Amino acid sequence: MLELVLALLSAATVGVLLIPLLGSRFDAKSRFEGELGIYRDQLAEIERERTNGILAESEAAAARTEVERRILAAADQAAAVPSSKPPSTLHKVLPPGLALAVPLLALGLYLQLGHPGLPSAPFARGSAPAEEPHMDIARLVVEARARATEHPDDPEAQAALGEALTLEADGTVTQPALEAFNKALQRNPGDPRTLYYLGLHQAQSGDSAAALARWRDLLTKYPDAPFAPGLRAEIERVARAAGVDPGLPPAPTGPSREQQDTMAKLSPAERQQAIRGMVEGLAERLKENPQDRAGWLRLANAWKVLGENANAVDAYVHADSLAPVDARQLADWAEAYVRQLKPGDPPPPAAVAVLERLEKAEPRNGLALFYLGAASFASGDKQAAARRWKALLSRLPPDAPIREMLEQRIKEAEAK
Amino acid sequence: MSRRLLYLLPLLTLALMAGFFAWSLLIGRDPAAIGSVVVGRPAPPLNIPALQEGQAPLTDALFKSGKPVLVNFFASWCAPCLAEHPLFMRLKEREGAIVIGIAWKNKRDEALAWLKRLGNPFQTAGLDLEGKAGLDWGLSGVPETYAVDGNGIVRLHFRGPLIERDLTDSVIPFLKGNTP
Repeated sequence: MLELVLALLSAATVGVLLIPLLGSRFDAKSRFEGELGIYRDQLAEIERERTNGILAESEAAAARTEVERRILAAADQAAAVPSSKPPSTLHKVLPPGLALAVPLLALGLYLQLGHPGLPSAPFARGSAPAEEPHMDIARLVVEARARATEHPDDPEAQAALGEALTLEADGTVTQPALEAFNKALQRNPGDPRTLYYLGLHQAQSGDSAAALARWRDLLTKYPDAPFAPGLRAEIERVARAAGVDPGLPPAPTGPSREQQDTMAKLSPAERQQAIRGMVEGLAERLKENPQDRAGWLRLANAWKVLGENANAVDAYVHADSLAPVDARQLADWAEAYVRQLKPGDPPPPAAVAVLERLEKAEPRNGLALFYLGAASFASGDKQAAARRWKALLSRLPPDAPIREMLEQRIKEAEAK
Repeated sequence: MSRRLLYLLPLLTLALMAGFFAWSLLIGRDPAAIGSVVVGRPAPPLNIPALQEGQAPLTDALFKSGKPVLVNFFASWCAPCLAEHPLFMRLKEREGAIVIGIAWKNKRDEALAWLKRLGNPFQTAGLDLEGKAGLDWGLSGVPETYAVDGNGIVRLHFRGPLIERDLTDSVIPFLKGNTP
């Protein structure tokens, strides 16, 4: 719509410019002829007035002489101006050519550089609140501070406080934030969030080398974590600012840009099929190259997302045989096991082994507590079952749907 | 004929200017480096109230301690000051630097709240609400940092926020006594 209006405006402007340019032009000759007409009229007027007796004979003669003198002067002037020759072709063509060329050139540039199909952004949408609820940082800080004061020994609360204070300072790790992170690190030395922010503080306080070393360690430990791509970008940014080599390990290969585009065009069923094909391709590659631990973890995750829990378990076993997996991966692994169970069945021994490792890494993990309780119950250790389930019950929110079932089972465990 | 040549004058001027601009762009000069009038001279006079009410005012005596001193003009409303703030914390804590902060055209309460929120890297902080001290020091804005040696001579002047390279290349060698 706007394009049409602009096109019409341009056309009108060019038209207004072109009409006089294409029409006939004054030159000295035509001007002289115009003057001559005037003088001819004046002579006729003098003659008329003389015959009517308004002008005396002598006065009429003087006036006629005056007009004749003017005619001679005008003729001299017309002869003096050299442009009596016809205007050259260049002069004829250039102005209208320019008047046409400017808008045409603008149109060509716009088609080259602009985005004619881009939808307009109405002012109303710009001023409307964003889709995501606006994060109230001040409130976040108040809440985080309250929690950290209440649980001074909880590394999670301290790290959250540090993060909130950093957000409040537009991403600068301030002194109070640093203190919170140091407290969190004392209680939980491996926490990736704390380590990231301590690295950020080092980068901001002019110790890029230490920051990069810390972050590279973190990335080596969690090559497939959801934060890994962001961490990579941060490493690259700080390394570039410091003028050093980022020294990044090669990124895990995801689907390429074109693959993503093709995927987006498929129907859901076709997409599912394509994903399955890619996951199977990864499984094939890993058969040839079974030492790729990150690959096995990626495969396990993919199978789990696709609901192929037995395959996921198999991939976790492979990854774990290369190097022990971390707590988060243990939890996923255990979940892949227990998803294969029928409700009420105790977990098989292999699953129990994984759940026990998970419980050791995270003593308060709900999945481990519940299923290890079920395993204890099945093997006759009712006391252990009741202890684990009670621990789980105390951690559940009051309106958790499984509360009732859990209380029932605790009763069973304690009754016999 | 000479009339005609006169018409070439605007074109000639344009060509000259374009040439000058191209040369200025390509010579590789840092356009931010506008030099400093205070470097190599005794520190300009200083007589401003302390930022913390009730403390002694800041005077030239601060530069007569025989130790190198960093003078940092800052403001709570200045984003680059926030960016360079961790560097001053580090200078204070790891290098033992004496840093004097001057809150420039900044309200007392706001500057104090800013330091409370971020941490205070300054041994003493003064208040230059009207920007008069800034005039004496040849300040063009905040943040700017001056390094004054033990004899009270200004040795370094940084316009804009300090970055890691400034620290490693100039400020830390300066504090260690190697005047660049």
